[in-house]
Amino acid sequence: MRSRRATVVAALLALGAALAVVAGAYATPNRAAAPAAQAGSDAAQVKCGKTRTIGLMAPVTGPAASLGKQQVDWAQYYLSTYNKTHKTKIKFQTEDTQLGAPTGTAEALKGAQALAGGPNVLGVVGPAGSNEIVGITKTLKDAGLAWVSGSSTRTSLTTDGTRTGYMFRSVPPDAIQGPTAANYIIKKLKYKRAYIIDDQETYSTGLADVVEQTLKAAGVTVQRDGVSQQQSDFSSLIAKIPRDTQIVYIPWQLPPKGQAFGNQMKAAGKGSIKLMGADGLFDSSFASVGSHVYDTNFPLNPKSKVIAGFKKGHGGDGEYFGAPTYAATQVVATAIDKACSNGTASRAEVRAAIRATKIPAARSLLGLAIRFNRNGDLATAHKFGLYKSNGNVFVPIPG
Amino acid sequence: MNWSLFFDLTVSGLTLGSLYALIALGYSLVYGILKLLNFAHGDVYMIGAFLGWYALHALGGPMNPTFTGAVVLLLMFVVAMLGCGVLGVAIERFAYRPLRNAPRIAPLISALGVSIFLQNSALLIFGASFRDYNTFDLIGVKTYNIGSLFFSVPQLLTVAAAIALMVALTLFVARSRLGKAMRSTSFDREAASMMGIDVDRVISVTFFIGSALAGAAGVMFALVFGQIYHFMGFIAGLKGFTAAVIGGIGSIPGAMIGGLIVGLAESYATGYLPQGSTFQNLYVFALLILVILIRPSGLFGRAAITKV
Repeated sequence: MRSRRATVVAALLALGAALAVVAGAYATPNRAAAPAAQAGSDAAQVKCGKTRTIGLMAPVTGPAASLGKQQVDWAQYYLSTYNKTHKTKIKFQTEDTQLGAPTGTAEALKGAQALAGGPNVLGVVGPAGSNEIVGITKTLKDAGLAWVSGSSTRTSLTTDGTRTGYMFRSVPPDAIQGPTAANYIIKKLKYKRAYIIDDQETYSTGLADVVEQTLKAAGVTVQRDGVSQQQSDFSSLIAKIPRDTQIVYIPWQLPPKGQAFGNQMKAAGKGSIKLMGADGLFDSSFASVGSHVYDTNFPLNPKSKVIAGFKKGHGGDGEYFGAPTYAATQVVATAIDKACSNGTASRAEVRAAIRATKIPAARSLLGLAIRFNRNGDLATAHKFGLYKSNGNVFVPIPG
Repeated sequence: MNWSLFFDLTVSGLTLGSLYALIALGYSLVYGILKLLNFAHGDVYMIGAFLGWYALHALGGPMNPTFTGAVVLLLMFVVAMLGCGVLGVAIERFAYRPLRNAPRIAPLISALGVSIFLQNSALLIFGASFRDYNTFDLIGVKTYNIGSLFFSVPQLLTVAAAIALMVALTLFVARSRLGKAMRSTSFDREAASMMGIDVDRVISVTFFIGSALAGAAGVMFALVFGQIYHFMGFIAGLKGFTAAVIGGIGSIPGAMIGGLIVGLAESYATGYLPQGSTFQNLYVFALLILVILIRPSGLFGRAAITKV
């Protein structure tokens, strides 16, 4: 018995040692390369070769993994179509940011450091969260890397001047989406009593703040609440919502949570109160709550070939939250192609190429041309699209 | 006084409290026997919710069930409880039993490891997407009311099933032969062993029962709130643990009462306290600290007697 246990212990130790050796073998080149790569990374010329590397930062695991999955799926979809149609290929160096995990932005920072030290990484797609962007800014900037986020909407990220020339995003900031929603409530629906519930994440509180201010300025009575993104039980919160409320605005990021909230509203006998989400909830699961549900999003065309192709490969699910990440990947890949036109490229050249991006609306999944203004925001996104559910999916409505 | 709000919050609190109570029972049972905080328990609850989902879909799904709704529900519970029971036994066998005589910190660390292992395994196996029970299609979305008291079928079902399970467990521990063995093992494991009780078997049964209750709680949660995902066990596990500590960890009635107290506290905090919804966890864990300060062994716990 004792000898068996000793054998097991010895085997485990041997396995551990083997893993350590393997891990060490993989880790050593990166560590060795990191200082050199960072020291001269901004202007250092990298031989482009046939396969180019893009850093991809997304919450692959952790509480927001369902969002990360959508972003990674859309990025991978771009990669697969690109690799099928181009002689050169792209590959991702994926870093898990664990958005919303108790460790905060530490994982995102680790990922940024890995990308900064990756000598072949020329540009970055992501990360997802605004807080993460604040956390990784110095690391990526010091390494000369530009990044294009498909979901961080905090307005100040691009307007405070800290990241100019480095950060770009394929989503409009809160300052654009919020007023679109609020003005629809004020001018079209003409409602006077609204309830706003944020999900305590930066994305959500930012949008909720903008909508609350705009509604209050127009004389709408607004009550405000918050709920954890981890929560699935909304019954106590729903109990607080007065029955004469006309609309509940929930700018959340997880469509299934919006669906659960809507269904629990119905179960509480409050199903007649209108619901409005934001681009984070633009998904058939939220739309399935009923025809009293509104949303705001890019003017995406659900009948486009790109979306149809994506849905075909993903069980019919559009995973629309991830769609801007497709655009972000397209921007970075196009910029790398441009910078690599002479066979080599530096991160500085890729940054300049991203800054000069011009993707026409016809080639853009977002339904609008992709160009960036001086701050790194979409120069073409002046207004969000408005949608109403037909009971199954969202259909565009005039704003 | 807004009685409608009060009743709504009470129904919500009792529903939530029933779930916490079932989870707390698992913590209490295991702690009572092994003096181990099984931090993987919340993740067993999550696995139970997924097993229920798979059972539901194996039986035709909520829109087109093979059997009547009641039979499907029953089978979902059976699958989740059996699956979680077996999982609990396996966790004990492979992660805790080898450490039974190790310093107490070792099984605690092992429990945390199992928790993270289960969480990430679920992510790997079930994926990151939320799974939808679509209970509203299976049971119906109809809300009943008695005056200002509104409740739905899943809420009623949850409270009734939780009470039934707790009563059954209490009777099992109090009156059955195995229950007596559990109590003996809890009191003095070594003496119980010397009296001919198969301690390993008793511990396995304890893990089976505690985990099965967590599995039932997972299905109930999904029936009431609609959706499940790989991270759902984390906070629920913490709340269940809080309930167990408030009630007096190791005490079965304590776990029940503790669960209801936590559920009601969370619900009333959401409804009545400033920014209650945002900071409901703050209020719940403040309550935990308060109870521990006033009664370190919990409401129904007994202080350990030390021979001097």
